[in-house]
Amino acid sequence: MPYLQIFLRNSVSSSPLRHSVYQLGNPQLRIFRPNWYLTLVRPGKEQPPDTVQFRIPMEMTKYDIKNYLEKIYNIPVGAVRTRIQFGSNKKTNHLNQKVKMPDYKVAYVQMAQGQTFTFPNIFPEKDQTPAEGSMEEMQNKFMEDEKQRQKLDPRRGGVTEWFGL
Amino acid sequence: MAARMRLPLQRVFPPLRNQKLVHTEAAAKEPAYPPVVASLTAKSKSARLRQIQEHVAKIRAAPVDEKLSLITRIQRLKFIVYPQTFARNADTWYQHFTKTAYVPGLPEKFAPASTAAPGLDDAAFADVRALVTRVILQEHWHKAKKRPPFTFRRQEMLVGPFLRNLVAELTHSLSTFSPLLRFSSLDISPQVNFYWRRGKRIIPKGHRKGRPEPHRFQIDDQPLSQIRITQQLPQFTPLEASYAAEVPEVPYAPNLMPLFRRQYANHIFTGAKLPDPACYGHTQFHLVPDRYHRNRLARMGQSDQVEVFLRANAMASLFAWTGAQAMYQGFWNFEDVARPFVSQAVISDGHFFSFFCYQLNTVALSVETDAGNPRKNLLWGTESLRLYEGVQDGEVVGLNDDVIRLLVQFLLNQPSS
Repeated sequence: MPYLQIFLRNSVSSSPLRHSVYQLGNPQLRIFRPNWYLTLVRPGKEQPPDTVQFRIPMEMTKYDIKNYLEKIYNIPVGAVRTRIQFGSNKKTNHLNQKVKMPDYKVAYVQMAQGQTFTFPNIFPEKDQTPAEGSMEEMQNKFMEDEKQRQKLDPRRGGVTEWFGL
Repeated sequence: MAARMRLPLQRVFPPLRNQKLVHTEAAAKEPAYPPVVASLTAKSKSARLRQIQEHVAKIRAAPVDEKLSLITRIQRLKFIVYPQTFARNADTWYQHFTKTAYVPGLPEKFAPASTAAPGLDDAAFADVRALVTRVILQEHWHKAKKRPPFTFRRQEMLVGPFLRNLVAELTHSLSTFSPLLRFSSLDISPQVNFYWRRGKRIIPKGHRKGRPEPHRFQIDDQPLSQIRITQQLPQFTPLEASYAAEVPEVPYAPNLMPLFRRQYANHIFTGAKLPDPACYGHTQFHLVPDRYHRNRLARMGQSDQVEVFLRANAMASLFAWTGAQAMYQGFWNFEDVARPFVSQAVISDGHFFSFFCYQLNTVALSVETDAGNPRKNLLWGTESLRLYEGVQDGEVVGLNDDVIRLLVQFLLNQPSS
């Protein structure tokens, strides 16, 4: 492992806790297996192509996000800006009690080295035409024929059948 | 009675009394009523358009100082454009805001193949070289260091005085070759401000929801020093040559850059007030602060943003300066510039110098006037060039003559008459 642990909790001996001595140039905070999970979201307002939008845990800072993305996902990060979105407290439930929507932190990450990202379309529209000779196709055709039979004669131009010889 | 009043079958008119009026045309009748135009006070779109027309006509008819005050009268939320900004890829955004096309390299006037330092022979150039060496040594060798400068004030305390001395001494020594510089004005840390409108958006919320609103911008710049002259510099290329240039189009809202809005007085200022005779700009000198120094950006792994920062700085500063000069001459959004306004800038951090030339071809940037406007502003610029390597034992090591030559050429730029 490249890093040393900060606190030796599992030391068998009863000697006092040993902290690794900090020297200039050492990282000041080392986190192993962070318990933070980022959520990539589609931006509500359109963002420039080099900007990626995440929902992040409230405790993360801009430096945390930069290190997280660079070390775990190898994404070159140029700049990070964060904001906290207040979840509304206006709604009420059926017992007339105020219901709070949770607050969350949003990070806008601008990537370096000219990289771009567009959020993909995760709900592409499926082709609705049913397969040839299947039950659905026959049912659709039957419904269409029924509707056609219900319609009036197009030569009457929308006039009802009450009149006429 | 009826018989007496019976009219003859053929009506005989009496002969005309005044024969001489027969062949003249009838006098042109003045319209009895004023022209039918849209109302001025109704609650309608045409009334609003007519109000805007009347306002524009009022500004056109006013003298220059009233023009400026009428244009900058109403305060509203506007984007503050900082020439020295931390934003990434700021030069593309600024090109879009100011309708500027970037041309790498300098115009033909300063090309190295052309006459090197016109009017400056070898002896004079050696004098200039000695002057530059003297200034460098004064700042970095002879000057007694009382205490180490504060972090993030190193550039301001060490390099600022060096550049200021360099500019002042060079201007003075080159004034023998240039009558323009003799009557120029050298400002130290002047204020340069400009206010303009470009693009529009639909207001999303509030009592004005759904209505179009222009994006307003303001630049408040403070270059290290600048030279103002009494005559205008000649243009680098004709106006029509800018029609072919390409300006990058950024379809996103300016606040995504990030750019922030504030509301305060709208200023338009070249560095001196309106009656000053030195109303045209010559050269600006900018200092790169510690925050954007190339060593710090390299430490943060953003070396590619160094040149971007310099370009954005030059673009915003020179656009503001030339725009303010044009406004001082009475050109504004609805009265576009009749002749191009030209200025130069040198941006340096003590060791590296970058040279920029700007030609303002159009000041009509708002939605109404930009629709059919083929003119674009032009910015020429170089990459950073090193002036000297360092100072050792009272000697300047690695002094670059090309940079000094370019500096001299910049300062000696004058109208040919």
